[in-house]
Amino acid sequence: MMRGLWGMARNDLRVWLRSPSAIAAALLPALGMGVLVAVLTNSVGQQPVALVVQGKGAAATRIANLIRGDPEAYLITEMTPSEAERAIGEQRAAAIIVIPANFDSAVAGATASVDVYLNNIDIDLADDIRRSVTRSVAEFDAPQLGLLVELHGPSEGMLLPSPYRVAISEHDLRDTNVSFLQYQVIPIILLIVISIGLLGTSLLTARDFERGTAKMLVLSPIRPLVLVVGRLLGGTLITFALVSPLIALGFLTHRIPYCGEESTAPQWVTILFSGPCGWILPVPSVSHGMALLALLLAVTLMTVGIGTLLGVALRDTRLVTMTGLNGSAYLFFLGGGFTTVAFLPRWLQIASRFVPTSYAIEGLRQALFYPDLIGFGRDMLVLSLSAILSVVLASVMLTRALRRA
Amino acid sequence: MSGWRLFRASAALEAAQLRRNRGFVILTALAAVNFLAMVSLFGLTGAYAPVALINLDRGPYSTRFIEALNGAHHSFALKYMSEADAEKALHSGRLVGIITIPAGFSDSVHRGITVPIDLRIDNVNIDLTNDVQRALPAAIVAFGHRHNFPGVRVIMAEHDVIPHDTGYIPYLVVSALALDAMVIAGILGAMATAREWERRTVKLLRLSPASATIILAGKLAVASSVAGGALGLTLLAIVVGYGVVPVDPWTTVFALAACVAIFTCMGAWLGAVLKRTLAVVPLMFGLAMPLYVDSGALEPTRFDGEKIWRLAHLSPVYYAVGVLEWSFHGLRVTPEPVYVDMLVLLAIAAVAASLTLGSLARGGRR
Repeated sequence: MMRGLWGMARNDLRVWLRSPSAIAAALLPALGMGVLVAVLTNSVGQQPVALVVQGKGAAATRIANLIRGDPEAYLITEMTPSEAERAIGEQRAAAIIVIPANFDSAVAGATASVDVYLNNIDIDLADDIRRSVTRSVAEFDAPQLGLLVELHGPSEGMLLPSPYRVAISEHDLRDTNVSFLQYQVIPIILLIVISIGLLGTSLLTARDFERGTAKMLVLSPIRPLVLVVGRLLGGTLITFALVSPLIALGFLTHRIPYCGEESTAPQWVTILFSGPCGWILPVPSVSHGMALLALLLAVTLMTVGIGTLLGVALRDTRLVTMTGLNGSAYLFFLGGGFTTVAFLPRWLQIASRFVPTSYAIEGLRQALFYPDLIGFGRDMLVLSLSAILSVVLASVMLTRALRRA
Repeated sequence: MSGWRLFRASAALEAAQLRRNRGFVILTALAAVNFLAMVSLFGLTGAYAPVALINLDRGPYSTRFIEALNGAHHSFALKYMSEADAEKALHSGRLVGIITIPAGFSDSVHRGITVPIDLRIDNVNIDLTNDVQRALPAAIVAFGHRHNFPGVRVIMAEHDVIPHDTGYIPYLVVSALALDAMVIAGILGAMATAREWERRTVKLLRLSPASATIILAGKLAVASSVAGGALGLTLLAIVVGYGVVPVDPWTTVFALAACVAIFTCMGAWLGAVLKRTLAVVPLMFGLAMPLYVDSGALEPTRFDGEKIWRLAHLSPVYYAVGVLEWSFHGLRVTPEPVYVDMLVLLAIAAVAASLTLGSLARGGRR
């Protein structure tokens, strides 16, 4: 029995590794998403802004320094008025901030203004600039509203009087320094697992029916149940064979130049050297590592089961590819890939609770980024039940289909 | 055989093939709706962070402050709940933060005393945290300006380049339409040519005395029409479902039709190069996202830096987004004039069509 099981799994693995188009089908869309995340990271938060300082006094210098001192919000280029006008027309700047020549005298009369000429092409971009400039300008009269609070947290017990009469006392929920890129890479890892598990098994199953090799399998002396378990084992091995090196690169490349967290190399160089999952994944402790492995195994089994079901149902490689790609996209997005579930409408938040990938994304983030494993038990329970359900259903359906082949 | 009859025969054959692959065509069209849903979900995270508001003060100033929070550049979706419920929601990831207005807020503000409001924030990632940290001062400033508190010496005077703001989702769904055109028209165009190699009929094409150009035109006309139909439905979903109406409907329809025809030609070339539908589909899906994001889909590409902008010129979606955002919202998202974007797209289509013909001719020799 073990020989038959292993033979089927090994055969599936070999067939799959010899099919470049199948590997491409599983990997390319997920890697495309990875590139998307990398590019998005570059454009999140900072906007190119032209700064025109016409005032020469102390107040003008001070407000200019407040704006220059917020590199998290702006990519500042200082220009003359005509250069700035050209830059906004050629889309080299999203806005022009002008500190007028009479700024100091206007400050003395409490009537000063900082002019912002804004390319309000969409509200996401425009609001980012509005919020940032408002804060920089407010900092002039109320230093407590400024960047220092964001960088160093609230100054406990010290409250400077503010002309706006309201100050902020901020308390962060987590002691974490997870970057946008690290945060977003987790769904990408999961998308790779889903794509390979789902498409790998569904293509192999559909191909057996399309080419008539399912009949040959039935005629072999091996019991159908062994064939089915062999297929599921093969799908799991395929997923691990392709995913393990990608994730391992993410952990192992910390000490290689250009890959470390402190590297000043461009993002694309880091990604090129450390692989598609090499966005500086933190090395987990033993307990967190085991949790990570268990979670990935549960997701793999679940997707392998769904893939087998898809292959049995459609029995056409082209249909399977399209359905698999569409299905992976839904599992990814409704599970919280690229979106924060809290932002979604209530009905979508409820729907996402029924999508097992949302538990997988949450569990992976917990295991990789946080010191405790709060909520991990619930995530693991949902994923294990989903895996058991899909594997049992897949076994029943494939056994029945093979008997009828 | 006359050219017209040949065109019709080729088109009829392609239509029959597509009818036989109805499931595949439907799933390709479904991918268009998927992309639309995806970018909408992404767009939802761009504004209105869900934040609980606990108001322990019942005075007039707290009411004004809440109004300022609601008006702070589309930043907060305030949820009114008890402290315990808010705490639970924050820890389960359903809230970004909790703002607490303390008791005695109105009284202190009235007496000119600075009051600290409490902000508990789920700093799970830096982007979300920054948005809230920048939005709250904006609300405080708006509150201060409304009451003309003394001591404020500087204000921001905004001058918008465009007379009206465009919502993030309306902006994104139009660029998603360009992506849809690329994926759907590209896959159907690729299918039309790759099938000749998959079924080994490319030799028959080469041996036939009929014009390969007319045969290809017939096949691609049907592929374009089907893709156009799918995109028409997507366009309808945008207009009816999202309420985003093009400023110039006829230009939009023309621009979309042109994009479909152009991407069908590109797909046909890709099909002729890869010779297998199964290889083309993942490639189109894989290319879709990087090409999309580097095309001015989220904001004008040049705002992301000169290198990324130069690279974007390699993506046909860059030009398509330029044309569609202009026809839909009247926005210029490329520094190049819109007619240049359109001319580049036409040139790409012409090159792709001639390369496809070349591949079909060479394919028969093997």
